[in-house]
Amino acid sequence: MALDRRGFLKFIGGATAGILATPVVWKSLDDVSIWTQNWSWIPRNIDGANSYVPTVSKLCPSAVGVKVRLVDGRPVRVLTNNDHPLGGGLSSIAAAEVQLLYSPSRMKRPLKRTADGAYVGITWEEAEAMLVEGLKKAKGGDKLAVISGDETGTVNELFTALAAEMGSKSCFIMPGEAQPAAKAWELMGGEGQVGYDIEKSDYVLAIGANVLETWGPVIRNRHAFRVGRPHGEAPAVRFAYAGPVQNNTAATADVWLAIRPGTEAVLALGLANLLIKAGATSPAADFADFKALAAKFTPEQVAAQTGVDAKRLAAVAQELAKAKRPLVIAGSEFGQGGGAAPVLAGLALNALLGSMNREGGIRALPYARKVVPAAMDRKALLQNDLVAWLGKVASGKSAAPQAVVFYEANPVYALPQADAMKATLTKVPFKVAFTSFLDETAMACDLVLPVPMGLERFDDVDTPYGCGQVVYALAVPALAPLVDARPAGDVVIGVAKKLGADLGVATFADALKAKAEARGASFTEPSATNAHVSNAVLPVNGIALRADVLSKAIDVKAPAFPVALAPVAKLNVGTSKTATPPFNTKTVRRWEIQGKELYVLMNGATAAKLGLRMHDRIELSNPAGKFTARVNLFEGVINDTVAVPAGHGHTAFDEFSKGKGENVMRLLAAGAEPGTGLSVWTSAGANIAKA
Amino acid sequence: MEDRQLNSSGCAKDGGKCCGGGITPFLVGLVVSLIFGWWVFPDMIYSKKEQPIRFSHKVHMESAGMECKQCHVLREDGTFAGLPSTASCADCHSDVLGSDPEEARFVNEYVKTGKEVKWLVYQIQPDNVFFSHAAHSLDGCNQCHDFKESELCAQCHPDVANSDSAPTHFENKLTGYSKQTMKMWQCERCHANENHYGVTNSSNACFVCHK
Repeated sequence: MALDRRGFLKFIGGATAGILATPVVWKSLDDVSIWTQNWSWIPRNIDGANSYVPTVSKLCPSAVGVKVRLVDGRPVRVLTNNDHPLGGGLSSIAAAEVQLLYSPSRMKRPLKRTADGAYVGITWEEAEAMLVEGLKKAKGGDKLAVISGDETGTVNELFTALAAEMGSKSCFIMPGEAQPAAKAWELMGGEGQVGYDIEKSDYVLAIGANVLETWGPVIRNRHAFRVGRPHGEAPAVRFAYAGPVQNNTAATADVWLAIRPGTEAVLALGLANLLIKAGATSPAADFADFKALAAKFTPEQVAAQTGVDAKRLAAVAQELAKAKRPLVIAGSEFGQGGGAAPVLAGLALNALLGSMNREGGIRALPYARKVVPAAMDRKALLQNDLVAWLGKVASGKSAAPQAVVFYEANPVYALPQADAMKATLTKVPFKVAFTSFLDETAMACDLVLPVPMGLERFDDVDTPYGCGQVVYALAVPALAPLVDARPAGDVVIGVAKKLGADLGVATFADALKAKAEARGASFTEPSATNAHVSNAVLPVNGIALRADVLSKAIDVKAPAFPVALAPVAKLNVGTSKTATPPFNTKTVRRWEIQGKELYVLMNGATAAKLGLRMHDRIELSNPAGKFTARVNLFEGVINDTVAVPAGHGHTAFDEFSKGKGENVMRLLAAGAEPGTGLSVWTSAGANIAKA
Repeated sequence: MEDRQLNSSGCAKDGGKCCGGGITPFLVGLVVSLIFGWWVFPDMIYSKKEQPIRFSHKVHMESAGMECKQCHVLREDGTFAGLPSTASCADCHSDVLGSDPEEARFVNEYVKTGKEVKWLVYQIQPDNVFFSHAAHSLDGCNQCHDFKESELCAQCHPDVANSDSAPTHFENKLTGYSKQTMKMWQCERCHANENHYGVTNSSNACFVCHK
């Protein structure tokens, strides 16, 4: 039977009807819909057993104690570690650490800069040979400088010992809160490292010190705040904060005193005056001098200089006097450049409140002994002022070194007058960076050596500044390095050998073991924290209040600019070493960065005075530098002050940070603090013009 | 035009019955597509794969007196280990125990080399489905039911307790998933069962399974 056209159509009709009565269409549609979800770039879970590695973050300045969760041996997440003495919460940098292992700007192999400025990958053998050759030329007479971004690690001993073997004492750590505090404590005659027992205090007054965001072991501080204020119960501790911007600490505290930038010491002396009038005293030999100095800071005088009215000042003084275990913490609102005066005045307040060597007060914590014989100890290292030294090199008062070694430090981005600092470093013929990321400083170096990230290496944290107890915490690798990186400590030991120097330790691990022993810690047994706590304290006797130094250092001059600058530091945007972790880009607020433009904050009155409105584009300028930004109106900024979010405006790193916003450090100019000589850069100002 | 007229005249001769062959082509098309759709197509879309080692659950359950959970363990933290590793099999099979050549092959090729067996899993769910074995425990379900362990497992998995060899793994050529991968309606036999509400923690809310 021949099939004609009509018969064929009937066949098709029957076949169609039949197909619809089978799973063909429906199953195919379902399978196609599943297939469309099978793209190769969709991440897949890798199943496996959970395991946890207790460690401490070397990436976050809070040195937070954490647990790394691994699935089938692969790290997937950083978790809180409530048992850890530096834990009890998580910082936004530590939370991003697992993702940062895969950062696009991560160093993958040693790089050397060629004559045309390009970087080429080289082997470790070539890199070490180049390092040895470079360092040979820097032998003798401070021709080698070391700049470290690690404030708490034993690795500094290896770097400083190498420098010592080369005949150099030019070793520095990046500016932070610890140097001014060490200076102030030393001036007062205190021994060891000054510690703050926040956990046991019932009233914490932070003057400038951004205790819940950037000052000291932040996560430990936040944990103390949380424990002291149990949900639904009467708080056991009150927090007061004084600073120019309603930052995260101010927003959390019970009391916020808005003060002009750089007037922290004035406020402290004003409070001291009121406390002395109310009967507070101190056995210090120079109490009479201090009393006379404080008397000059009448409530009216303080109001004129800081902007805090007499009633609010008196209220805080009364709360301090009433508290059983008050504690005053002074520092810089953005974690650096504050000078010794605020800390000195803050510690003097503690002395008046009877908080010295008292539970919930100030503790003198012993430094650990050195474990590398030729090394510079932490006390000596803290006395070296990097900004002052670079200033001298820039002006020609000090000879430029032949070589500079940077260890996890990014001074090209993070120092005041960043542009000038970068120019100064061009005077150095040979620059080497040990770093995990290709940051601004690495981009200015001749040789860049990748170090394993904190989650990939053994390392340590010895009693971060601000901690109220001696804490020695070990960083333990959660995985082997994902890139061709080598621990800096071991590289330094090997290079020293090739230069004919024996640093006295065979491996970096040996140095860590020795440091743990020096702190009385033993890590032979499995531990939930890999941390050791000691309640050892040094006696605090014969403390002087140093009115002589304070009277000079307090000489704060209001900047001769229409507005003062108040940088605002936040952990979520990362550090100069990490830039903004891709994990955290969602936490950058709408009116903080828009596209590539930075928003700066000022209150309505300041904006009206300057004739500005929300979103106006302005140029901020001063002799140090200039940049454009847009205006964001925010009433949490004191009058005549512009708050500038810090941590933006990178010129290196990846698409998540490079070229986004502006670097506030370009507008901060360092000056020398009268009386102490320390570099300070908290009193900056700027001209504002519509752009 | 002429052809069409010729055709119509032809039909008229046949009393109209021969027009396009009557209903026959339709029925043929229907039957062909039904056969294709129900018998050929389902077989065509899957590739058949056998497990790398012929594994007898029956021997382990009956002769060795084992239970499902001895190999398919819940870890201490509540996560499910799924299939045993070669190392855990080697707890017993460090050497050849019986006379089965497959066991000898397993010992020689996997235990002695430390290699993991690439078992084919019948019921892998996509990553957008969160399933916790801990939440579907014997203790939980037997608040009302009276399941044996193997019966509870067989609510979702192929019942292999009495089989001497693992079932053939049918892998969908398009999606890559196994034929036995449960669809949502199968989950809903329990999750959408009103009798479970208020008695168990089961819920049919999206976020219970889709995170």
